[in-house]
Order: sequence, then C-alpha cells, then structure tokens
Amino acid sequence: MNTQPLKNNISSYIIQTHEEEIKRIAMELHEGVGQSLSSLFSGMQLIETAIEQPAMRIYAGDMKQLLEKAIQEIRLLAVELHPPTLTTFGLISAIKSYMKIYTSTYGIEVEMENLGIESQISDRDSITLFRVCQEALVNIARYADTTKASILFKWEKSMLLIMIKDSGKGFEVEAAMNKLSGLAAMCERMHLIGGNCTIFSKEDHGTSIEISLPLY
Amino acid sequence: MEFNLDSKSKEEQPFKKACEYVLDEMNGDFVGLALQNRKGPDISWHYAAGNRNDKYKRITVRYGKGIAGRVISTGTPMKIEGFPNNIHGKALDYPIMLAENLRCAFAVPIQFKGVPKGVLLVGKRTVQPISESDQHKILDAAKKLEKELNSLI
Ligand SMILES: Nc1ncnc2c1ncn2[C@@H]1O[C@H](COP(=O)(O)OP(=O)(O)OP(=O)(O)O)[C@@H](O)[C@H]1O
Ligand SMILES: [Mg+2]
Repeated sequence: MNTQPLKNNISSYIIQTHEEEIKRIAMELHEGVGQSLSSLFSGMQLIETAIEQPAMRIYAGDMKQLLEKAIQEIRLLAVELHPPTLTTFGLISAIKSYMKIYTSTYGIEVEMENLGIESQISDRDSITLFRVCQEALVNIARYADTTKASILFKWEKSMLLIMIKDSGKGFEVEAAMNKLSGLAAMCERMHLIGGNCTIFSKEDHGTSIEISLPLY
Repeated sequence: MEFNLDSKSKEEQPFKKACEYVLDEMNGDFVGLALQNRKGPDISWHYAAGNRNDKYKRITVRYGKGIAGRVISTGTPMKIEGFPNNIHGKALDYPIMLAENLRCAFAVPIQFKGVPKGVLLVGKRTVQPISESDQHKILDAAKKLEKELNSLI
C-alpha cells in the first residue's frame, strides 16, 4: 500500500492548522491586547495633562512611555508571528514590511528586486513562500556574518522564482541538510505545495537559496 | 529628558572617547553604548569601538529583549558567557552578539535621574569570560558616563 500521498496530506494539514493557530494568536495580540493597551495609552495621556503636581506628572509620563514600549512590542510580536498584510496585499508587500523589521533588528541591509507582475497566489502558498524567505533571512542573520543580503523575485508566466543570496561565511550543504532543522523543513514545505527549493553554498563563498513555484 | 544625539555635536565626544577608553582599558574586543532615542521608546547603539562592521548603527534594541533590552528593562547588569549557549531565549534575540560575533559580554545600565536610559556593553570574541576586575572597571566607567550625561542635560 502506498501511504506517501496520505502522509503528505497529513503533513500539509498539520502545517496549515499550525499556521492558522499562529495567525489567530497574532490577531488576538494585535486586536485584543494591542487595542486595550492603546486605549490605556490615550487615557494616560489625558491624565498626564490634567495632573498639576510636577512629580506625579513625570511619573505619569514614564508610565505612558512604558505603555508605548509595550504597544510597540506587542505589534512587533504579532507581525513576527504572522505577517498581517499577506492576505490583503500579497507576498511582496508582506516581505517588504518584514524586511524593515529585519534590518532594524539585525542591522543587515537587504537589497530587494521584484521583476515581472505579481500574480495572485493562494493563502497556503503565500504563507509557505513567506516562511521560506523568513527562514533563509534569519539564517543569514544568525550564521552568515555579513552586512548585506539580497532577495530577488521573478514572476514568469507560469512560474515564480525567488533567490535569496548572501556573500557571507557559507557552509557545507550536505552535512547541514542531514540534520533535521530549518533548511530541511523549508525544502519539505516547498515540495508539499508543489514547488522546489535548492541550496547552494560553499565555505567562505556565501549562500544562495533558490525557490520555485509553478503558477497556474 | 531624552538625549539629543541625532546631530553630530560636541557633546558626542565624551561618549565616543569613553567607548575607546573602555576598550583600551579592558581585555575586550568590542565596546558599545546604547541610548534611548530622543523620540519614542527606541534604543539604539550610538557609539562603538572595536566594531568589525557598521551593523550596530542600524540595530534598534528591542525593549526587554537581548542583552541591552534586558539591561534597560531590569536596570541591572547582565553577563553572557559562551554565547550562543547559556542564554535566556533564542540566539536571535541577541542581535549585537550576532552582529559582532561575540561570545561573551558584560553589559551595565546607564541611568538618568534614576531611570535606566542606556547600556554600556563590553564584549569578547573569545570564550574566556570577562573577569571580575574588568566587570568592576566597566561599572566604574558606566558611573562616570552617567555623571557626564546628567551634567550635560
Ligand atoms: N546563510 C547561511 N550562512 C552560513 N551558514 C548557514 C546559512 N544558513 C544555514 N547555515 C548553516 O547551516 C546549518 C543548518 O541551518 P538550518 O536552518 O537547517 O538549521 P538551524 O538554523 O541551525 O536551526 P533551525 O533553523 O531549526 O533553528 C546552520 O547550523 C548553519 O551552520
Ligand atoms: Mg535555521
């Protein structure tokens, strides 16, 4: 009996429910906790202006600042968990906002190029592509020891190609792929949506990750 | 009550000097000074010495995260030995350690009117931890910087 297709379906199902759960938590953080904190912030602003006693006023100002930090932290956390613009504005827009956070977090500048016309892709496919790009970029921040990276999107008639490159440390691909970790999972996820993922790397010569997905 | 460090002014000199001085005095490889920005809650690395690249300039410290974020949120010093092992959270929560390839660090708060507003960090790219006596020197340097800051503003 061939159980492979069933296995793939189950993997897809697990990944999808997992993504939905992450999305729910992100929305809850953003719209639930985030909104409450914003209301608190406005209230504190009002209170601050109404206080006449200088010491208490400064204290209220400090609390307001703390709230501002918490709001920002919740917002970043939500965006990190699930890109909020992915469904509404598409992959490129989501990657662009992620890149801003990425550069201000790790100090690595990413040059982005988008060739061709972005086509509509399913939610499942776009979250997979987003996650794969994210994993590649996070690996660069963690291991490549470089200040720059680049990402290229090429929308062809029946195919989307993505290339993520760095000219950092590089590594031995075969050894790394044998571990059960991010890179292996990334390729597996691409296969599950009918795409492909190839990793090229050489010690001291940087890394390049090429992803392709047929478009219908 | 924030520091105006956006423009290149004479006031900057003491901080840059302080970083270089600390680097000279200590057996460290990297010294960084993070301060809260003029506007908003962001904290960034304003000065560094011994840096291998300019990534620190683009990094915004996340409040409560990583070494500087935790030092500011708790107001207490923090040390890391053998990064990326023995850490609280993920290696990715420590961007300055990754950016400068540091293995050990000691970071102390810089207070302004009793509120932590900055961090002085000394890091090493080798595994031997920062010695007790160096830790004291770093604390002293931070105290001195605190005085300068409080007299400036
Ligand atoms: N861009 C890169 N530059 C240099 N080395 C890399 C890069 N990407 C990956 N590596 C190396 O490949 C190894 C495997 O990467 P992979 O993403 O599979 O695992 P990980 O990042 O260590 O763990 P996880 O992704 O599960 O958190 C890494 O440990 C690292 O040594
Ligand atoms: Mg990884």
